[in-house]
Amino acid sequence: MTGASEKSTVRTRGGLSFQKLLQASVLVLLVTLCIFASVRTPTFFTWTNLVDNLFTNAAALGVIALGMTFVMIAGGFDLSVASITAVCSVVLVLTMDRFSSYGPMVAIPTALFLTVLVGIGLGAINGILIAHIGVNPFVVTLTTMLIFRGIALILTGGGQAKQVADLALRHQFSWVYDAGIPLFGQAYQVSIPIVIFLAVFVVGVYLLNFTRFGHYVFALGGNEEAAWLAGVNTKQIKTLTYVLCGSTCAIAAVIFVAMTATVQAESHQGKELVVIASVIIGGTPLGGGSGSLVATLTGVMLLRVIDNLLTQFNVGTEYRKVVTGLIILVAVVIGVLAKRRNLR
Amino acid sequence: MRRIVKDFSGTRALDGVDFEVRKGEVHALIGENGAGKSTLMNVLAGRFDDYQGQIVFDGNQIRIASPRQARDIGIAIIYQELTVLNNLSVAENIMLGDEKIRRWTRKLDRAFIKQEARSIIDYLGFDLNPDKPVERLSTAQQCLVEIAGAIRRNVKLLVFDEPTAPLGSEDVQKLFQVIRDLKAKGLGIVYISHRLAELPSVADRVTVLRDGRKVGTKPMDACPISEMSRMMLGHVLSEIFPPKENQPGKCILKVKGLSRKAKFEDISFELREGEVLGIAGLLGAGRTEIARALFGADKAAGTVEFQGKPMSSLSPGVCSIRGIGMVPEDRKRQGTITARPVGENLNISILGRLSGFLGFQSPRRLNRQADLMIGRMRIDPPDPRVLIQNLSGGNQQKVIVGRWLAAQPKVLIFDEPTRGIDIGTKSQIYKLIIKLAKEGRAIILISSELIELAKLADRILIIRNGRLVSEMQAPLDDVDLLFDACAAKEESV
Repeated sequence: MTGASEKSTVRTRGGLSFQKLLQASVLVLLVTLCIFASVRTPTFFTWTNLVDNLFTNAAALGVIALGMTFVMIAGGFDLSVASITAVCSVVLVLTMDRFSSYGPMVAIPTALFLTVLVGIGLGAINGILIAHIGVNPFVVTLTTMLIFRGIALILTGGGQAKQVADLALRHQFSWVYDAGIPLFGQAYQVSIPIVIFLAVFVVGVYLLNFTRFGHYVFALGGNEEAAWLAGVNTKQIKTLTYVLCGSTCAIAAVIFVAMTATVQAESHQGKELVVIASVIIGGTPLGGGSGSLVATLTGVMLLRVIDNLLTQFNVGTEYRKVVTGLIILVAVVIGVLAKRRNLR
Repeated sequence: MRRIVKDFSGTRALDGVDFEVRKGEVHALIGENGAGKSTLMNVLAGRFDDYQGQIVFDGNQIRIASPRQARDIGIAIIYQELTVLNNLSVAENIMLGDEKIRRWTRKLDRAFIKQEARSIIDYLGFDLNPDKPVERLSTAQQCLVEIAGAIRRNVKLLVFDEPTAPLGSEDVQKLFQVIRDLKAKGLGIVYISHRLAELPSVADRVTVLRDGRKVGTKPMDACPISEMSRMMLGHVLSEIFPPKENQPGKCILKVKGLSRKAKFEDISFELREGEVLGIAGLLGAGRTEIARALFGADKAAGTVEFQGKPMSSLSPGVCSIRGIGMVPEDRKRQGTITARPVGENLNISILGRLSGFLGFQSPRRLNRQADLMIGRMRIDPPDPRVLIQNLSGGNQQKVIVGRWLAAQPKVLIFDEPTRGIDIGTKSQIYKLIIKLAKEGRAIILISSELIELAKLADRILIIRNGRLVSEMQAPLDDVDLLFDACAAKEESV
């Protein structure tokens, strides 16, 4: 201990500012890319492109990334988010279809309720296995990723595309995606997915930064055993982070279904990595202990803008995978270096 | 070492320190936390390549720029936090980095490793089984493994950074014998410790550092403990231990038949309000395990009655709500919530009480509460936003104690509260323990430093091999009596 303590009087907040620097650099990169994009393609900085292409398309994965941030700050990990989202999407469509004869006022709330319930339930399965039984989160969520995906396939009878048969109901539900809330007159509208994202964001920030639960989440990531010995019910808090993550998957499922109207059991595969990438790029380290939702938001936007640029340059999917992988790798490496510097 | 200067991001940690060790000498290096002892030794270990000043080793002027170079010229440091690899055997740990590979089969030569390790162990006269996995050894034995590993690399200068901090009295005596043997073999030895009382029996000379400067070097015989602490603190510390002013009252905690398989058996005692109950025993006797079971950190059989009512389910969460707290043994692993600021570390146990509407935690209120505790515990730097790992060991400990103080527990368990902290903080914690007892709170104090128990406790329970063997009335003047009680019949194991 003395090794570190000798330096203590000296390096009071040096480590923290380094991390702040890191987050700032992500922001700078994001702004630079945006400027670059708007110079290259004049359409980039139009309201439609920003709102429709960037933010609205980022909203669903962004919501999951918010939930994932809780899990990762607490020192956990969830690979099953894409599968949970798939199950939730299927459940949403199937229940809407099942209850369509009762009219939209019954069908839609019932379906929403069940979807969120399923999201919470699947998250709870992850959480209980990890927190109460003590299995490694990587192993648990890797297996539940397969299991949940299988369930989605079974529910759709082997992976056929499903959609709500009732055309009127289908249209009514796509309102979630199609409708715009006029912000500054009709020309500047904000889509419902963005509103949903912002709502989840605000609730998330409140939970993480201004409640006991949020403080415990940070404490869990900092030192689980110490938190437990300080009287924190660590198992419960840990389970709750996965439940929270599961419920954000359910919310994302609602956005996805509204967007596409149809659902396929095999949709969203591989998206769990994009989500985890946005959280890590935002600055939440693997192993947890620090991080913020604002940082995750910048991470989500950075990946989205890069994706948007790659589309505009007609870069093929194979190269995109390499690029996305490299970005994650760089983010993780920088994160590890920052942590080492911080703790040394 | 001459005029060593080392800066950390603008602040001077070492300011022109001269230090000298002779062959066949044990040189004690003391000072409060943050005085620069470890930094000085880290310069020697090649941890920094940006120090100023000169180092002359074995007659040659050198610059030590890397840990590897330090090792190659024969400097080794045994850190308080041991660096043995738990999953390997004793022999493999000792021989790490010097394994021999069989010529043709490229097979690891296990027989060679074992044989070499055995010869080193025999040379040093240690009682170690080379085949045993290190994780099954006691802390003291692990320390021996580390020493053996260093000796194997042909060291000329061996630095001990607080080796005795985690050891029981008996192991300390063994270690001292080892150090004396090494000295007789002509090694230069630097010995860093916070336990001033043990220095006369092992060291030849002593150097005192304060605030990155050298206060002085004296022969050990000419430097009694009072003189050393005066040099360390810069003023006379006449009373390290406060007067005992607490008065035990009525029973608050009743423990009956507490047992945990292979750890301890049938422990029964009563704890009274305003009482300081000491628990003494050798390392591994089961002291910590008993404390953990009381706090619900480990499951155990038996009954615990708190304020006349039996506690049905014990867990740290339940205990903290009911008013039982524990300052754990291992500060870094079990105490500090790493990478989080001091304020959060202080408030973690009382967030329930600070919650507002919808579980709202007002940042202003949290900060005010943290500032209050920082003031009461005199934590330095007095800023709740500093990350806890950037505090000195003593200040980290103050945060952990402050965390429980804020929770206002009726029973507070201290497990090795003064391990590895400076004498000023120690004294502060002693005063606090007596003050808490005076307020009517019950204290359980576990310590390897028997003098603490002798001076602070009202009664001392002696634990041997997981059994409560006797009880002594305290305060005591004769610490040896306590030591004998702990160690008796140990050889029959």
